[in-house]
Amino acid sequence: MNDIIIAGIGGQGNILLSRVVCQLFMNRGFDVKSAENIGMSQRGGSVVSYVRVGDDVGPIVPDGRADILIGLEISEAARSINKVNKNSLIVLNDRFVRPKNSDLKKQRILKFFEENFPKLYIVNAHTIAFELNIPKAENITMLTLICKKGILPFSKEEILKALKQVLSPRMYEMNKILVEKIYERY
Amino acid sequence: MKKVLMGNEAVAYSLFINGVNVAVGYPGTPSTEVIETLKNFQDDDFYVEWSTNEKVALEIAAGASLSGARTVATMKQVGLNVAADPLLSLSVVGVEGGLLVFVADDPGPHSSQTEQDTRNFARFCNLPVFDPSSPKEAFELIKPAFEISEKYKLPVLFRMTTRVCHSNQSIEFEFKREKRKIKGFEKKPDWVILPALSYKKHMELEQKLQDMKKELSAYNKVEGRGKIGIVSGGISYFYVKEAIKGFEDLFSILKITVVHPLDEGLVLEFAKDKQMLIFIEELDPVLEEEVKLILFENGKFIPTYGKRNGYVQFAGELDVDKVRDIFHKIFSDRRFLAKNTFTDVLQTPKRQAQLCAGCPHRSSFLIVKYAAKGQDVIFTGDIGCYTLGFAKPISTTDTCLCMGASITMAQGIKISDCSKKVIAFIGDSTFFHSGITGLVNSYYNRHNITICILDNLTTGMTGFQPHPGTGKKIYGKEGRKVSIESLVKGIGIEKILVIDPYLSFAENVDKVRKFLNDEELGVIVFRRECANLKSRESYFKINQNCSKCKVCLEVTGCPAIDEDENGKLFIDSTLCNGCGLCENFCRYSAIEKVMVK
Repeated sequence: MNDIIIAGIGGQGNILLSRVVCQLFMNRGFDVKSAENIGMSQRGGSVVSYVRVGDDVGPIVPDGRADILIGLEISEAARSINKVNKNSLIVLNDRFVRPKNSDLKKQRILKFFEENFPKLYIVNAHTIAFELNIPKAENITMLTLICKKGILPFSKEEILKALKQVLSPRMYEMNKILVEKIYERY
Repeated sequence: MKKVLMGNEAVAYSLFINGVNVAVGYPGTPSTEVIETLKNFQDDDFYVEWSTNEKVALEIAAGASLSGARTVATMKQVGLNVAADPLLSLSVVGVEGGLLVFVADDPGPHSSQTEQDTRNFARFCNLPVFDPSSPKEAFELIKPAFEISEKYKLPVLFRMTTRVCHSNQSIEFEFKREKRKIKGFEKKPDWVILPALSYKKHMELEQKLQDMKKELSAYNKVEGRGKIGIVSGGISYFYVKEAIKGFEDLFSILKITVVHPLDEGLVLEFAKDKQMLIFIEELDPVLEEEVKLILFENGKFIPTYGKRNGYVQFAGELDVDKVRDIFHKIFSDRRFLAKNTFTDVLQTPKRQAQLCAGCPHRSSFLIVKYAAKGQDVIFTGDIGCYTLGFAKPISTTDTCLCMGASITMAQGIKISDCSKKVIAFIGDSTFFHSGITGLVNSYYNRHNITICILDNLTTGMTGFQPHPGTGKKIYGKEGRKVSIESLVKGIGIEKILVIDPYLSFAENVDKVRKFLNDEELGVIVFRRECANLKSRESYFKINQNCSKCKVCLEVTGCPAIDEDENGKLFIDSTLCNGCGLCENFCRYSAIEKVMVK
């Protein structure tokens, strides 16, 4: 079974990303279940999504069980470390939004991840999305980069198919260009 | 077709497929997506709307149902309190076309004032309640829920919790709508509730509950043959299934989907050969109490573990690890302990929910705060995004109780602590939901308070639903627009001020200060579209003039402003919405505008 956690802050498109990941697995013939926090935490708060491949389970990944942790924001990824184990694959977006009233340092968190997880990848989705002038699309930028690097086993065609199924036609056209550009340039 | 559906979407799809004719609700997390999904469907015998509040919604549903339509009223658990009046009477009056009351409970709670349990409401108002465990199950239960409602002529509660509402599952189904003919309203003395009729109908209601027990029992089921019995339902059922992995032989599960009314037969059959019973459920011990009562009435004694003897928590959510912890406590078996390598080593502090960058409410709160400086003021708050006005450094919300209570609590405070100035804050959607009656009361009874209506032209917290002040109906089509100013004037209040919180801060403070000078009842409307509804035209950055005085950050608390590891202030160019509020507080011309290409 594959258990995936996506952690980030409200407004980063966490939930949409988890929808696309669900669709990707479903298109490969798997049953999927997922859960997400929305509402009060929607804007500016922590948002965690769980994607579980398999049907006869609850929607929340138990402690220490996640196979993959995707961090759209570094300190939010740190918040979810009780869900992973030493063999988990960790993918972090190089973006740090310090929780207010904390002395949390980006470097300290990165050092912790580097020391504890042999399978750690850092991608610069935030910078790339900003460079491509769609700062709000760091979610799909992140997914595209992860797949392009072979971290998740989905092709460009599969990504586009899933995006088409999940997004509105207008949003799809925007994201299609984004995915194409990333495959060309990065 | 096969589709990944969120629990609420699954409910909406199933409602439409099963011929719902009228769908009404008021938005509230975690219930909102049912109506949001239904609005995408169209048919000549289907109507959907956002109503002004839950009581209105349920009464519309009641009228439609008496005319023979299949109907649903959707709300969150605290919304059910608002709709409690019609619901309790409707349980006595009864229905004609199937009527479902969809209620989303919020254990945790994630975004609610209370953790109340709608299963208890079902016991309270004598109605059957369905409690699905997954989106797929919710999808499948809508049809029988309608059928039960129509067969027994009673409303049926369809209760889900956040983790079912907001989880997604792949579901295979045929998208084909069942067409039903609506027979129309038939006059009957039954529809007029009077005390004598109410007594008669109450007896009938009790009989109906007895009659439907066996039929409803079919939706409950037993799994496994172990001697340790677990009684569970809702999302907790899946936590149990995962927690007993590897030990399945020891356990058997009684999964209860319809907890009220509960059939004795199934419970007694299940308990027959059990060494003990463990109750795993969130919120109130409803399964525990119902099952224990049946056992007691039938002279059976079995050791039990649940909330009543402290093994299961009353407050908050459960999960697989918490359920394993409960088993560990009961059996002292270390194999149930979670294998957790990492706990919160970095001690990541809680990220407080806060008003978005560029939120017009931040500015409105600060205008009032500055205008009232030096005076003894109490600020009453209300339910919505702007409840976050309590957070530092804005700190202009001293109370928050329930929808509409800012206006009425302000009056109570003014009566009892009359030396203070009392200022109430309420959002536009909440004002229409339940602020108006309080406003009428303040005029009628001469309560001299100031009411600030924070009008961001949408229902922001739940995802931008329209309301009477927007004039847009659910599909975006033109409805009629209710003008807040005309409404206030219509009541008789003449002291009104309308302010754009994005315009000059100093001028706005001046205007509000003058407004607050006399003690008369008055209304200030702060009007500016929610920052999330418009794409930004500019954002701001901090240049080399910055003296690191941090006033911009400390006054506004804007989430886009922060200091880096060297104590240098910066504005996060992705988060900033270009409202320019911070610029008002910078004495060094260090904040400059960048236009978006």
